[in-house]
Amino acid sequence: MPLQYEINPSATVPIYRQIVDQVERLIAGGSLRAGDELPSVRAVAALHAVNPMTVSKAYSLLEAQGLVQRMRGQGMVVAERTPGNSTSQRMALLQPSLQAAAQHARQLEIPLAEALAAFRKELEGDK
Amino acid sequence: MHEPKSTHASYASESALANACPIEVSDLNLSYKNRHVLKDVCLQIPQGAVVGLVGANGAGKTSLIRCMLGLTLPQSGEARLLGEDSRNLSDHARARLGYVAQTPELIEWMKVAAYLDYIGAFYPVWHEQRVMQLLLDWDLSPTQKIAELSLGQKQKLALVQALGHAPDLLLLDEPVASLDPLMRRDFMRALFDDVPQRTVLISSHLLSDLERIITHLVLMKEGKILVFDEWDVLAESLQRVQLAKRLPDESGVLVQHIHPDGVTAVIDIRQFDPSRLPPEAQTAQMNLDALFVELLS
Repeated sequence: MPLQYEINPSATVPIYRQIVDQVERLIAGGSLRAGDELPSVRAVAALHAVNPMTVSKAYSLLEAQGLVQRMRGQGMVVAERTPGNSTSQRMALLQPSLQAAAQHARQLEIPLAEALAAFRKELEGDK
Repeated sequence: MHEPKSTHASYASESALANACPIEVSDLNLSYKNRHVLKDVCLQIPQGAVVGLVGANGAGKTSLIRCMLGLTLPQSGEARLLGEDSRNLSDHARARLGYVAQTPELIEWMKVAAYLDYIGAFYPVWHEQRVMQLLLDWDLSPTQKIAELSLGQKQKLALVQALGHAPDLLLLDEPVASLDPLMRRDFMRALFDDVPQRTVLISSHLLSDLERIITHLVLMKEGKILVFDEWDVLAESLQRVQLAKRLPDESGVLVQHIHPDGVTAVIDIRQFDPSRLPPEAQTAQMNLDALFVELLS
């Protein structure tokens, strides 16, 4: 089953950022492996009726991060992962959700210990 | 390709300039009687940009597009398309330009295909096959009389007409208001099908459509340009803030609405560091719809 992005044009997150985030998560989570091909700019743009330049922009950013490579003749391919920093890379991806959750917890005035316990429960409950 | 004969020395640099900035508007002022419709409008659209022109009814969107095309003459200021003065566009520039008016002006007694043939004859290059394909894809019958078409069908025909010569620059004034969502997506796909790096200026109230395709946003209010920037940058830089008290009026604070429960402000985090906000302030990013409401209400 070829990869299809979920794109919500009316979200507050710009479309290029939605694509970058999804590819980052899929690579970090192992759904996309080194050598896997990303859908072409044309295909993504046509499927979602979005500007091809926006898809290109997302791919260029992923390329600049070293997550994907432009292959001659083919499209974009997931790059070999450099070993060592993968946990910290994945942690960096988790950071925005943590910040949002922390902000909500503060606004709701939930005590620290209870917020941490709830997060632990969420993590373990998923197993 | 049909090329004009002008081979004087400055031609190369002129066309380079035209490619750098296909739409250029400086200090436009337009009034009807005592109504000031455009006020000191300046705009430079880079090549390949897809620009959403957005604003309330009567903000001056149609007037601006008509001035860009030289169809309306401003009292002062200048508009240039593809590097040329809009009041005096060459055939070469016209061949690279497409326009769809709010109310398409078609020739009612003609049949669809005959009309397109007639229009095509004015252009040095006319993409017959693409035109026929679009008619097919968009369910327009070549043999139907234009007078018998619905408003939506007329809009489709006007779009086919504007795409038939594969223009580098397209100016579209609410081109899809009468079309259903599926058809509007087909139209957005068609914008990117044939010409790479086409520059498009499109005025529309269908903001969720614009969010799919625009690279830049022009927000107009009462004849002035309130915001012009890259859309992705705006989406990531402008934030709605809810707080108890007014912020100081400084650059980076775009608007403040005071209501009984407190203040709603829009800040630009490139100029106003959100860490300066009071701790109780709640910030949120905005989509185009929210931005429209916050900045124009």
